[in-house]
Amino acid sequence: MIELTGVSKLYGDVTALRDISLKVERGEILTVLGPNGSGKTTLLKILGGLERPSSGEVLFDGVRIGGDNAEEMRKRATLVFQRTVLLRGTVRNNVAYGLQLRDIPDEDIERRAREAIELVGLEVLADRQAKDLSGGEQQRLSLARALVLGCELLLLDEPTANLDPESLAIVKEVIRKLNKGGTTVVLATHNIEQARELSERLLLLERGEIVEAGRPQDLFLDQSYEMARFARSENVFTGESRMVNGVAHVDIGGGVEVRGAFSRGGSVTIHVRPEDVIVSQELVKSSARNNLHGTIVRIEDRDSIIRMRVDVGKVFTVQITRRSLVEMGLNVGQEVYITFKASSLQLL
Amino acid sequence: MVDILPINNTIKITLVIVAIATAGGYYIIRSQKLPGVRSLVVSTTTSLYDTGVLDQIEDAFEAENPIDLYFISVGTGLAISHAKRGDADMILVHAPSREIAFMEEGYGVNRKIIAYNYFSIVGPVDDPAGIGDKTPTEALELLVEKGRAGEIIWVSRGDDSGTHTKERGLWSQVGFDTSALREEDWYREAGAGMGKTLQITEEYEAYTLTDMGTFLKYSKDGLVTLEILIGAGEELINIYSAIAVNPYSNPDANFEDAVTFTEYLASGEGQAIFENYGVDIYGSNLFNPAVELLLTGSDPTTATWIEATGFFEGSECPLEYRWGETKLYDR
Amino acid sequence: MVSAILEGLARVLGLIASGDRTLVEITLRSLAVSGLATILASCWSIPLGVAIGLGRFRGRSLLKGVFNVLLGVPTVTLGLVLYLAFSRSGPLGSFQLLYTPTAIIIGQSILITPIIVSFVTNSLEAVDPEIRSLALTLGASETRANLTVLGESLSGVFLAVTASFNRAIAELGVAMMLGGNIRGVTRVLTTTIALETNRGELALGVALTVVLMAIVGAVNILVGVAQRRL
Repeated sequence: MIELTGVSKLYGDVTALRDISLKVERGEILTVLGPNGSGKTTLLKILGGLERPSSGEVLFDGVRIGGDNAEEMRKRATLVFQRTVLLRGTVRNNVAYGLQLRDIPDEDIERRAREAIELVGLEVLADRQAKDLSGGEQQRLSLARALVLGCELLLLDEPTANLDPESLAIVKEVIRKLNKGGTTVVLATHNIEQARELSERLLLLERGEIVEAGRPQDLFLDQSYEMARFARSENVFTGESRMVNGVAHVDIGGGVEVRGAFSRGGSVTIHVRPEDVIVSQELVKSSARNNLHGTIVRIEDRDSIIRMRVDVGKVFTVQITRRSLVEMGLNVGQEVYITFKASSLQLL
Repeated sequence: MVDILPINNTIKITLVIVAIATAGGYYIIRSQKLPGVRSLVVSTTTSLYDTGVLDQIEDAFEAENPIDLYFISVGTGLAISHAKRGDADMILVHAPSREIAFMEEGYGVNRKIIAYNYFSIVGPVDDPAGIGDKTPTEALELLVEKGRAGEIIWVSRGDDSGTHTKERGLWSQVGFDTSALREEDWYREAGAGMGKTLQITEEYEAYTLTDMGTFLKYSKDGLVTLEILIGAGEELINIYSAIAVNPYSNPDANFEDAVTFTEYLASGEGQAIFENYGVDIYGSNLFNPAVELLLTGSDPTTATWIEATGFFEGSECPLEYRWGETKLYDR
Repeated sequence: MVSAILEGLARVLGLIASGDRTLVEITLRSLAVSGLATILASCWSIPLGVAIGLGRFRGRSLLKGVFNVLLGVPTVTLGLVLYLAFSRSGPLGSFQLLYTPTAIIIGQSILITPIIVSFVTNSLEAVDPEIRSLALTLGASETRANLTVLGESLSGVFLAVTASFNRAIAELGVAMMLGGNIRGVTRVLTTTIALETNRGELALGVALTVVLMAIVGAVNILVGVAQRRL
């Protein structure tokens, strides 16, 4: 459906994408996986016709996309942003907007908008002002706004980030439904678990380059160097699990045993999101089942968030705010405790 | 539509705006000049206009003539400036020295003295300087003396108006230059209209020169408690004249109607309006008609005073400044 | 001071109750003149504000700065400059605009132009930059996307229009210099207030001020209602 050949994108002297070549097949769900700043958003924008590549070619159904037919491409593909952008007015106003741009009779607009709103479970709030909705509800609104258009291609930038459980379930369901109905979906995420769950094909993007491509299961199974590196930064470990009183005890090596809230024994691949790990300078007594003691080996500054590597026998990646870093006065070499709930341990 | 406006409402709002605009435009057009009616722009001074006498003149004159009078009321200096720029067809002011200059410079013709009254020196009821029984000249000398001694304050208009011009003339008659007096502590300049100047004088319990119209009004409304200490005299006479803009130097000026209006001001009817104005409100008239008096010499003293201050080369309007056929002059 | 104000309020009620013709005439004229000035100025100022707000061209910041400075022009200054232009001996004298309501309309519309342009430009800039991208990705053309951004800043545009109307109807310098405060022709609320105050008719001055403020308040409320309907 879409083919990118040798696409690069520069913003000033910053290279966001470097020599990207990929194919998006009609009807598939493709996930672009990668850490923040890897160029996922830029890639989605190019696929959506919102940005033109600095070099390289974009083909949509074999037709080369340039400046003059970009609008046509934008009508056939739609992008849902990471950060929700709302138009003034009600939920209904927002959803109907895109339809009003096309020559569609009023009754159809009304009907289709209603259907889309129902699909994402916002019927009750349909006439509320969009800005009065909660974060998760706003994300669902963005999704409804996009899917109501019936585009051939749906591009989603971090669709599951920061969603409450209800919204998360709805969003995943909607994506599946749309794809079954024939819509091609490309989604970008840094959440390894979502990537595995939703997609058929996976691309690993790092610093503007595609470093890995394939089926999720394959990639996780024999991890290439790049995959492993990404996995490490996402706390992906393999280990032996045994069930003890309904709780999974997993030995991941290095003398580390973690507890998980799943029931599976034997060889497992597990993962805990860096955001779900709490760092403290003293042992915290809490309901969390996992308390590990270790040393900070690396601190990475990523603007507003800080990523730290803590060696507790195995190296865990944790994410904290810069404020916390300063307040706690953390340094490399310091001894800290990391804590996370058993339910945060995900099975891959 | 989320982007601009819901179409229905846009149309409604546009219609409302168009309706307002049309109504407004219509209203304005309606209040513009009516066909067949010419307009006459008369530049006059605030002290004359603010008394309200000109509104009465306007109503009476417009009732009998197809002429729309436009009175522009500003300070004397600006009134004359308007006329020089061609933005007025005639002036109605009270500054004889500036009027003669206006004519000498070629801007004005057909001057006619219309009315007169007196400036007054007003001050606190108890008259600390003790000028109440003196002549104007003596009073001014006394005021300078008392002022320099720190006993009294004098407030001047200081705004180049007709009244201010008169005040300056008075001081120079007594031998003082106001540009030097300004530097002295007891001589304060208001830089404002007559009303404000009176209020400042009231605040300071000082003395000032005022025209009768403004003073009577402020006094009656209880805004000032000052009293007239010297209310008449040759030096204090205040003469109102009308001058038409010279059609030779300014062909666009409405000269014909200017002359008609001047003749009206000098006519029995016009003069009567001046004579009676203010009696019912203030108990005394604000103006005195001048035409009859000058013609028949019925009050020789006053006539002499007017001639001394307001005549040039023996006439209210020397021959070289008269233009066209007019009934204005019988002398 | 309090007695003067109370007297003024009583005066207002008296005038309104009696339906004083002069008051009605002056009020209507103020509304008509300033209303038309606002509509006129909006016609060229809103598009100009949009062009600057959405545009990307060299000298854009400079242009914005110019209008911001012009915001503070004293009315008497503008009145004087225009008077010299419209005067018979001035370059535009042959149009004979001086001492007509039209002159005041022109003068006031020039006066309020920087207000509208600055407000519109600023409110467009305050719109989330992603709105335009959103409009595009939902299928809007470039032009349509711009219109959508304008739609999002609509409250700013409304504010611009009401603020400029308020300025126009409450200004004195332009109305005085270009209109001349001629009875029955160019006398408006502000010039009447000045005249009566100078005459010492303070109560009447206060009364008219109350009328002026009531008008301004009423217009603002009406616009607010209209805005909410959209």
